[in-house]
Amino acid sequence: MEMLYAIFAAPFIDMFSDPVFFAEVVINGLLTGIMYSLVALGFVLIFKASGVFNFAQGAMVLFAPLTLVGLMEQGVPVILALIITAAVMVLLAFLIEKFMLRHLINQEGIVLFMATIGLNFLLEGAGQIAWGSNVKKLDVGIPDQSFEWGGILLNTFDIAAAVIAAILVAVLAVFFNKTRIGRALRAVADDHQAALSVGIPLRTIWIIVWSVSGIVALVAGIMWGTKSGVQFSLTLIALKALPVLILGGFTSIPGAIVGGLIIGMGEKIAEIYWGPLFGGAIENWFAYMLALVVLLFRPQGLFGERIIERV
Amino acid sequence: MSAKAKKINGRAETILSIEDISLSFGGVQAIRNVSFNIKKREILAIIGPNGAGKTSMLNVINGFYHPQKGTITYKGEKCHDMRPHLAATQGIARTFQNVALFKGMSTLDNIMSGRALKMKQNVFWQMIYYGPAQKEELEHREFVERIIDFLEIQHIRRIPVGKLAYGLQKRVELGRALAAEPDLLLLDEPMAGMNSEEKEDMSRFVLDVNEELGTTIALIEHDMGVVMDLSDRIIVLNYGQKIADGTPDQVRNNAEVIDAYLGVKYD
Amino acid sequence: MLYRETGQFKTSYASDQAIFPLVQDRWFIALVFVIAFAMVPFIANEYWLQAIIIPFLIFSLAAIGLNLLTGCAGLLSLGTGAFMAVGAYATYKITTAFPDINLLVVFIMAGLSAAAVGTLFGLPSLRIKGFYLAVATLAAQFFILWLFNKVGWFYNNNPSGSITAPPRTMFGIMISGPEATPMVRYYVSLIFLVVMGLAAKNLMRGRIGRSWMAIRDMDIAAEIIGIEPLKTKLLAFAISSFYCGVAGALFIFAWLGSAETEAFDIFVSFQVLFMIIIGGLGSILGSILGAAFITLTPIFLTNFPPMIGLPIATDLSKHLEEIIFGALIVFFLIVEPLGLARLWQIIKEKLRLWPYPY
Repeated sequence: MEMLYAIFAAPFIDMFSDPVFFAEVVINGLLTGIMYSLVALGFVLIFKASGVFNFAQGAMVLFAPLTLVGLMEQGVPVILALIITAAVMVLLAFLIEKFMLRHLINQEGIVLFMATIGLNFLLEGAGQIAWGSNVKKLDVGIPDQSFEWGGILLNTFDIAAAVIAAILVAVLAVFFNKTRIGRALRAVADDHQAALSVGIPLRTIWIIVWSVSGIVALVAGIMWGTKSGVQFSLTLIALKALPVLILGGFTSIPGAIVGGLIIGMGEKIAEIYWGPLFGGAIENWFAYMLALVVLLFRPQGLFGERIIERV
Repeated sequence: MSAKAKKINGRAETILSIEDISLSFGGVQAIRNVSFNIKKREILAIIGPNGAGKTSMLNVINGFYHPQKGTITYKGEKCHDMRPHLAATQGIARTFQNVALFKGMSTLDNIMSGRALKMKQNVFWQMIYYGPAQKEELEHREFVERIIDFLEIQHIRRIPVGKLAYGLQKRVELGRALAAEPDLLLLDEPMAGMNSEEKEDMSRFVLDVNEELGTTIALIEHDMGVVMDLSDRIIVLNYGQKIADGTPDQVRNNAEVIDAYLGVKYD
Repeated sequence: MLYRETGQFKTSYASDQAIFPLVQDRWFIALVFVIAFAMVPFIANEYWLQAIIIPFLIFSLAAIGLNLLTGCAGLLSLGTGAFMAVGAYATYKITTAFPDINLLVVFIMAGLSAAAVGTLFGLPSLRIKGFYLAVATLAAQFFILWLFNKVGWFYNNNPSGSITAPPRTMFGIMISGPEATPMVRYYVSLIFLVVMGLAAKNLMRGRIGRSWMAIRDMDIAAEIIGIEPLKTKLLAFAISSFYCGVAGALFIFAWLGSAETEAFDIFVSFQVLFMIIIGGLGSILGSILGAAFITLTPIFLTNFPPMIGLPIATDLSKHLEEIIFGALIVFFLIVEPLGLARLWQIIKEKLRLWPYPY
């Protein structure tokens, strides 16, 4: 009886009795959610454009800031380091296309997915050999101060992240829907061979997409790296992106944002209000369970398209 | 009228009866108020232009699509819609327009999988293999080998079907359907993509199955020569509606059918 | 010249269906068995047994389990670690609560517990497919480990949070605990692998294996010929988890002796997945080859460079390992998606022609 009360009543009472704190939890959850969205965006880009679920996105989220920090440690000024890192990500996209993607054209999704798992480990290992595996502090000059707003405790950094994410999404949405290249990308995602047969330069498209995704990974990596240090565990964030993608759909850019927000908010609320009941760390599995429950009701995710099977 | 046709019409025992079936997907109406029946042991052809609803009709019969309206009566049992599993256990088997074989498995395994419903041994015995499971496996292997002999595909037994030529794949698919010992066999464009030699072989198989095993056959086909030669009765669909239903002679002279599909009087 | 089928005609379907149809294959396997059962434990030293061979055997078993689910039935699972953990913790709880039950029985009960949990997390598989299903297994992975971490009952409220295998016997021989010798533990692992491996092979060549592959290749068509998708998928989850559960139990009782939940984390799930990718999806032999490869490479990387005068720091070798694995996975998927098992088949085919080129 007490257990039932503790699970189904007490947390809600807590929420309503201190609405300011609740608002704080929600807002902080949303802001964390934005950070998840940034990572998920990288996945969506590659999936939307090439139909590949890039498991290595996590490694890219680690590799990019690692390179940036490495350069900065060598004394390279921030702006220049950013430019060089972006160039490195483009080069990486080029190499990935040349040595991996090119040879796997029109293979089944599962094969490509597993190839990206391999790529993931490759990048992790390479990044850590090149720049060392200690936790690194990253500071690109974004102000990181706490302040109060209407009684709620917020942080300038989180706000900045939200703004950056918004700008990024707007740019990408325009890119995909309004430009010729965007259209070509969507064609490629649908069917490699068909796209090739109408003359779309598959390889160039892939390089473009993976580069853009790499830069998105850089942004995401900078955000996460500043917040919690540039370290190996960044790659695990990529796993969290899966539930985000399930909620938001694998091919929807706004969906990645919405999905991220829901997951971020849900996680935080669950952890703060229900966590203490179970000894904490609910965040470890909450997102996946939530995604699972959503899938049971809507197998295509919240925003995905209904799959009609034809025989 | 052939002797056989006389016999069938005389007996008039219906194995499948479709009454007033309507099927739509979202805004698209695939089938409109179609009714017909299939008599036991006959070969019924369903013809019509592309998009007429022929494959959808087969899909309704074996429970893959569920019609919004109408009833299906199979072997005397009336139901609003069929379920694939139910169709399979009741003796309906089919082949598909785009060969639906299990590409990762060999010819032999594919046809053996058609015996799935008849194999009962549980997990435990399967793990041990020697004993009841092996006995069952070998029994069914014998049966499947007879099908393989019948279809003359012994030489490709162990080859993964993904590597076979299209025509051979279709033959293997027929084998898999036959393995289930069906009472009603639905064939969706079994001759598609074959040259005339292969078509002759396939036609011979279809006729043999019908005459020797007594299997009722419903087939969709575009090759009019095949249709006219093989079928006892023909149903013509156009834009989801039935526009003709009769013997090959009746249908080939039907003005509406000529307009919609055949084009010229077929001789 | 030596390796050919000439003169070996199958006169019955039974002999055609045999696991090793060629006489040469049977001799080869007999040789492997002789080496495994009669020679290895007497030749190999304790370090080799403990650090290399026993984990190789146990991971082979887990790899076979995952291969049945992912390679054969086509259901991607990232929860292998969690299912192994269920086996391990179940063994621990049962044997600490009922110390007199024969350990063999306890292992089987633990396997069944893992099968039950696996079935539960496999329930969504009727509605969810592909990557989406992988999320369900991820949920299992994270949730189960969290549960074993937080709820003290699972580790008997041991203050260190870990579980330790108490000394237990099987038919009078000490199997677990500090007094069990590596040789005994080797035999236990080997026997489990051989028996369960054979059972898996039998499953694959029979009705159940075919229905799994049918579901994997085209589940709609499978349904239409009468195979029931949900039952078949759940059976795959159940049996696969049974294998992983037993592997998990052996993990603690026959190898490590004690461990915390970290021993079964997501990285273990990935490790086993790599084993079946590199070894060959859907192949029992592949699972074993893949497990051999992944257990041996780290040892190779730590021991080989010093042998040729190039000492590598442990940190560096770990990252090198990652790079090599990653590169190999990509390489295999490009060159031979069917893995080491297929390479082995190709070698055998070349042998059949040898010394002729074609």
